Amino acid sequence: MKAATKHTMYRFLMTVALAGALCTPALAEPDGPGYSFGDTTGKNEACLTCHADGQKVKGPSLINPAQFGHTTHAKIGCPSCHEGVAPTHPTDGVRTPRANCQQCHGEVNSEYASSIHAGKTSCSGCHNPHKVESPREISGMEINQMCGGCHDKFKMSAKHGEWLPQADLHLYMLPCITCHTGSKNYFISMYVVSTKNQGNLGKPEVASYQELKELTGGRDILTLIDSNHDNYISISELRNFNLDRDHKSLRLQGMLTPETVSHRFEILDDRRNCTFCHGSGPTVMQTSYLSIPEVNGTYRRVQVEKGAVLDALYGTPDFYLMGSNKNNMLSWIGLAVVCGGLIMPVCHGFLRFLTRKNRTRKEH
Amino acid sequence: MSAKKMVYLQPIPIRIWHWVNALGIVTLIISGAQIRFPEAITILGSYKTAIQVHNVAGLIVAVFLAWWLVYYKMVRNSLDDIYIPNEEDIKHGIVRQLLYYCFWYFVGRPSPFHAMPDSKFNPMQKAAYLVVMFMLVPLVVLTGILLMNVTPLRVLILMSGGIKIIDTLHFLVACSLFAFLFTHVYLATLGATPLAYFKPMIFGWEEVEDHDEEHHEEQHKEAQPQTAFRPVRHYPEHPVHPQN
Repeated sequence: MKAATKHTMYRFLMTVALAGALCTPALAEPDGPGYSFGDTTGKNEACLTCHADGQKVKGPSLINPAQFGHTTHAKIGCPSCHEGVAPTHPTDGVRTPRANCQQCHGEVNSEYASSIHAGKTSCSGCHNPHKVESPREISGMEINQMCGGCHDKFKMSAKHGEWLPQADLHLYMLPCITCHTGSKNYFISMYVVSTKNQGNLGKPEVASYQELKELTGGRDILTLIDSNHDNYISISELRNFNLDRDHKSLRLQGMLTPETVSHRFEILDDRRNCTFCHGSGPTVMQTSYLSIPEVNGTYRRVQVEKGAVLDALYGTPDFYLMGSNKNNMLSWIGLAVVCGGLIMPVCHGFLRFLTRKNRTRKEH
Repeated sequence: MSAKKMVYLQPIPIRIWHWVNALGIVTLIISGAQIRFPEAITILGSYKTAIQVHNVAGLIVAVFLAWWLVYYKMVRNSLDDIYIPNEEDIKHGIVRQLLYYCFWYFVGRPSPFHAMPDSKFNPMQKAAYLVVMFMLVPLVVLTGILLMNVTPLRVLILMSGGIKIIDTLHFLVACSLFAFLFTHVYLATLGATPLAYFKPMIFGWEEVEDHDEEHHEEQHKEAQPQTAFRPVRHYPEHPVHPQN
């Protein structure tokens, strides 16, 4: 067959397929749920009529519209992944078709396929496609909750404790992906944590949107810290927040988080070298953001003044990355104290040398 | 011409404590410097090694602090006499000793204080060691234990103001002890010979002038017949011999 003839047939078949696809909704029963191809809301509202209602749907099929609404998946609409749902759904008993993630996320999939996680779990093992969030929209603690679905906390603590000093602390203060992926560009992500439910000295939990909203009396949560409303957190604002007695149960906690996340999970030898994090010097680790919870379950990221994590006493009292985010002023004070110890020996020793003959005469 | 006699000044448990402590504190200074400035100091190799060495040395110093306390307080029962300045020390002794170090030492006068087994320190030493042994060392040990156990002792850290407060205290107190080390070693060279004060800390015995002891013990007994032994102070009572 000639190439031109083959090309003509291919175009014909594609046209028929496209016409078929466009006509399918028209064939739906007039009283069926129907599938709109309008805007984002229109694409999803028919599905969410049931799937956002906890009375009608249970388990993983129950979708939080607020969390789902901000995702890219919501923008492309339910049918993009659940193509060909019959008008008789859900009474037809047919399992809802699901798209393969790699159809859109091919690059991530190939990266993941070469990692030690490949074959252990699929994308949905870690990500809920109905509330998938970008790294900047999710707290480090939540990232670790994903990992904790398979990796037992106590076993991991014991395993890391074989070589890692204060393993519990590291696992609590670091997202797993900081060490177990080749992610790049680290920053300190600060969260408001609350000990309200545990007492002032209890174990802190990431403060929820509702809790913070109640504290602000309905105002923007950010105003708890950003007192001058400039959408920028200065060290003095952090200090005021940390010293404010009105909300003693709230504290700031920092996590070293990668900016660019990789899906290539691996055990990286250079992360066993403590100086990867602890020896980077005072010129890095200065970038930090404050993550403020939003109503849809994500986080808004607000720029914090450079060097806030270095502020010895007020910036982040509960965050200290030993050897790395040391306070330069404190180091200079320490040097002055040590040098102060030399004043007496040097001065006295000098006079002692000059007056040595006085003591020699006495001995004779 | 005065006769010499040997006084057993430093018993074995104290000598062991002193030298273990000395080695421990030097190790802590070196490893602590690497922990704080890993980009500049790599004496102990890896950062992890520095942390482990620091932790072990810190624990040893902490255990031997307890050893020191138990020995002086419970075995010898002389902790108070040795380390706590008495009324005489506060009223006159500290000033007298300060004048000696600042002036009379340079003109060749003898020290107004002679060490004895249960009164080893002159009034200035007492004041200094009171601060060092009862405040600075316990503080650096306690903050060190908190920093070694951040997760298990999290509540105590929060009660103390947070991890940065604890770390700041630990660092500044450690710097203060480092500073004191220079003065400590220098003052140890101010004996009759530069090594005179080092010998008792190695062998236990110190050589003292016998006639002075007797002379002033008598004077002392006359002055305070009802009290227990008090340190011999022969300045300014000590007659200054005219220079030949």
